[in-house]
Amino acid sequence: MSALLEVDGLSKHYPVFERRLFRAAKQSEIRAVDGVSFTVNEGETLGLVGESGCGKTTTARSILNLVTPSDGAVRFRGEDIVPVFKGSDRARMLEIRRSLQYVFQDPWLSLNPRWTIGETLKEPLRVHRPEAPESWDARVAELLQMVGLEPHHAWRYPHEFSGGQRQRVGIARALAIEPKLLILDEPVSSLDVSVRAQILNLLVELQDRLGLAYLYISHDLSSVRYISTHVAVMYLGKLVEIGPVDDIFTRPRHHYTRALLSAIPVPSPGEAQDRVVLKGEVPSAMRRPAGCPFHPRCAAALPVCATDEPMLMQPSAPHRAACHNPA
Amino acid sequence: MSDAILAPTAAPPRAPGIWRQSWYRFRRNRAGMIGLCIVTLVVLLAILAPFIAPYVPDDTSAMLRGAARRPPSALHWLGTDRNGYDVFTRTLYGARTALMVGLGAMLIASVIGVLIGGIAGFSGGLVDELLMRFAEFFMVIPVFVVILAVVRLFGIVVVGTWMEDIPNLNMMTIIVLLGCFEWPPIARMARAEFLRLRGAEFVEAAHCIGSSRRDILLRHILPNAMPPLIVLVALGIGGAILAETMVSFLGFGDPKAVSWGQSLFFNYEALKVAPWAVLSPGAALFVTVLGFNLLADGLTDAFNPRLRQ
Amino acid sequence: MLSTLASASSPVTAAPPAPLLEVRDLRVHFFVREGVVRAVDGVDFRVNPGETLGIVGESGSGKTVSSMSIMRLVPPPARNVGGQILFEGEDLLAKTPDEMEALRGRRIAMIFQNPATSLNPIYSIGAQLGEILRWHLKLSRAEADARVVELLTLVGISDPATRLRQFPHELSGGMKQRVGIARALLCNPSLVLADEPTTALDVTIQAQILELLADLQARLKMSMVLVTHDMGVVARMAHRITVMYAGRVCESADAATIFNAPQHPYTRALLESMPRIDQSYTGTKRQPLPTIAGRPPNLLNPPPGCRFHDRCPEASAECRRLLPLETTIAPGHSVSCLKRGSEGIAA
Repeated sequence: MSALLEVDGLSKHYPVFERRLFRAAKQSEIRAVDGVSFTVNEGETLGLVGESGCGKTTTARSILNLVTPSDGAVRFRGEDIVPVFKGSDRARMLEIRRSLQYVFQDPWLSLNPRWTIGETLKEPLRVHRPEAPESWDARVAELLQMVGLEPHHAWRYPHEFSGGQRQRVGIARALAIEPKLLILDEPVSSLDVSVRAQILNLLVELQDRLGLAYLYISHDLSSVRYISTHVAVMYLGKLVEIGPVDDIFTRPRHHYTRALLSAIPVPSPGEAQDRVVLKGEVPSAMRRPAGCPFHPRCAAALPVCATDEPMLMQPSAPHRAACHNPA
Repeated sequence: MSDAILAPTAAPPRAPGIWRQSWYRFRRNRAGMIGLCIVTLVVLLAILAPFIAPYVPDDTSAMLRGAARRPPSALHWLGTDRNGYDVFTRTLYGARTALMVGLGAMLIASVIGVLIGGIAGFSGGLVDELLMRFAEFFMVIPVFVVILAVVRLFGIVVVGTWMEDIPNLNMMTIIVLLGCFEWPPIARMARAEFLRLRGAEFVEAAHCIGSSRRDILLRHILPNAMPPLIVLVALGIGGAILAETMVSFLGFGDPKAVSWGQSLFFNYEALKVAPWAVLSPGAALFVTVLGFNLLADGLTDAFNPRLRQ
Repeated sequence: MLSTLASASSPVTAAPPAPLLEVRDLRVHFFVREGVVRAVDGVDFRVNPGETLGIVGESGSGKTVSSMSIMRLVPPPARNVGGQILFEGEDLLAKTPDEMEALRGRRIAMIFQNPATSLNPIYSIGAQLGEILRWHLKLSRAEADARVVELLTLVGISDPATRLRQFPHELSGGMKQRVGIARALLCNPSLVLADEPTTALDVTIQAQILELLADLQARLKMSMVLVTHDMGVVARMAHRITVMYAGRVCESADAATIFNAPQHPYTRALLESMPRIDQSYTGTKRQPLPTIAGRPPNLLNPPPGCRFHDRCPEASAECRRLLPLETTIAPGHSVSCLKRGSEGIAA
């Protein structure tokens, strides 16, 4: 397996301003994403999990330059793409965009309400295949069938579709220009349970058929378990654990991962689940604790945890946790 | 795999788009439909004025016949005023002026407003701050006083220059001035819409695809920002017509123009003797402004499905 | 901190006691311009004293409308068009608005989904909770404050005396939901309705709130109706479960039966379609998840017969024609399915 996407020390810091009468003074900064590194290999799925505010969505958006990263590199097939987005070489930028596409969380907001589905699906073709407008209609029909819709749906408007169908359209739009990697930002969390399974199946089927790699962002750990080959866990802007999916789910090493996993209610009543209920709540990213960001809530915290920030150990090992006292 | 709700038969009839849906909703709104009828009627009367009106608007022959200030009769359906003008004819032609003022002023206001508001909303940051402060500056100026002063000053300045020969110069000045002062509300609304849409997921999706900024602005953001702006413009047309009437009524209008405000100005002193000369243009003004307001009301509901009961 | 908790235990199902709440043939329809949407169309369920009933279903199943109608709070254009809601033997649907006002918050209380919007931002915690006590129980200000402090302590809020003077925006999401729970329990209600009480919260906070609710339920012996779409949450919390689909009840049974021996095809399909956190999907080629094809029917003009027939793998010709009635197939276990012996009526 060769590395398709390498995220290396990615950071996104937001300055916090104090408003004065005539000027705003920079007071501090929120480190929404802080030195995150991971790799997505070809044909694999990396699940990026964490609670709201942990920085998983900001990480994904930084990769596609929807927010400009403050620091770090994003390498696609070895080439750092951050300067490409900042530069003025539009042709090169389009080339990168062709390989990396994004599927949005909310299928009600991610489609232009004034456009038919066909017009929406033609947009990527207009940008990337302007030389062959006669081929667009056929491609739109092909895309619709690929995601389990009918060619005649091209004439319809988003408001006529259910959430699941709109999400299929969102996937079709991302696939229109044959990307190598799809970033899936909570693609099923706004859908009903029975529709979730349909979309997850579709994603798996497309991955097998088209050899896609996925970066799958979600707080829904059961879908992460189903779809991912590897999992990365984030807490307060930091990557705290990364490894193969079964290792993470059966032998979590970071205490936050353990708590997160045991917090999920399992649909089997009466099963005596060893529940780790965390005390306290996630602190605001503005007031991140010193040392290990998790230590105030951690039951296994050592004195060193309050002072030294743990690093992800053993860069070569497949399963790594940033913890001074791993389980 | 495929959802079974949509029968996999031949292509069904194309469903109504979002504009057409708005039209369906609008059609069910009684106030809006009344407004639309009134506005359509006013527009038709204005266009067809030369064919309907029994006299030319400048015809003062009744004065020569000693028939000024006569009540409605078979010869003069709405009577004549103190200058011997046929009130019906003057009221009809007044609609042309009113619409010209309303549409002209709001056209200018929309162009300025959407441009400034759009740039502010799309760029954000310092540009946004500066443009919005600029808009606020215009909002605190007492528009009316400025218009009166400029019209009067301008009237003095042009005397003896080539500009004196431009027809309806005063009226055009009023239109331009109204346009130049009515844009801030439109700019604020445009800014809010552009700001909202700039962060909309479908706009981000377009960024991801690599669409150019021009495409995103013109094809994604602008059409979606239109509905509330259209409502504002419809309201503004009524407001501009009213403003022009007030300017004319105070005697600062264009004496050569056939406008309702002018008719009111010339005839209000004779209200007791010849009330028809004031009532007709007054009623026309009232109905027209009401029509635009009702229209705006209906449009608000039509564009906002959630408000519908 | 690590704390191990036993899950909610199943109650004895042999001799059902007199129910606290019994909903019979409830019908709530939405009268919209296009016609009548039969959002709730003949729903039965019961809540026994000291028991948690979980009502599960997908969006549009009618679960929220059902729970709102217990409070008689269905908003127009919805209207109650039939059925009975027997609460402690009295039909709530026959009560006057004044009688309902005296009941709400006192004998039946509600925990809302979104703690951020269910508290009034302009009143302090003490003021808005105390007001309920002063209104319902005619307590003095001091008595009310004492009771509020007691309740805030009960729901695990530290330093409750200080919190009294705080405003909602000063509290975190989990803390707000704790206040929401305290508010529901102020007057010692016999029945608590909780509509998706943890959906708006993060997983680790959800775990805290669920633990709190389960603990309070057991300690105070309160009856609860828990409305949710999350099968995991009902498994954790509910003694009995009612599964709803398209405005009708599919199946009602105790929690263990629903999860271990579901009878209705919809219940089965729903459970199977969820990926499980405790199962590995790696290794050989991933198997597709079993899915329910299609989507729920339009309740504006529901098709004749069973509401689930066009998505049901077992449907036969009579399912397309006859509407199944709820039938008890074992003590405490009822199913509405012609294939499981239910009677059908032409509808």
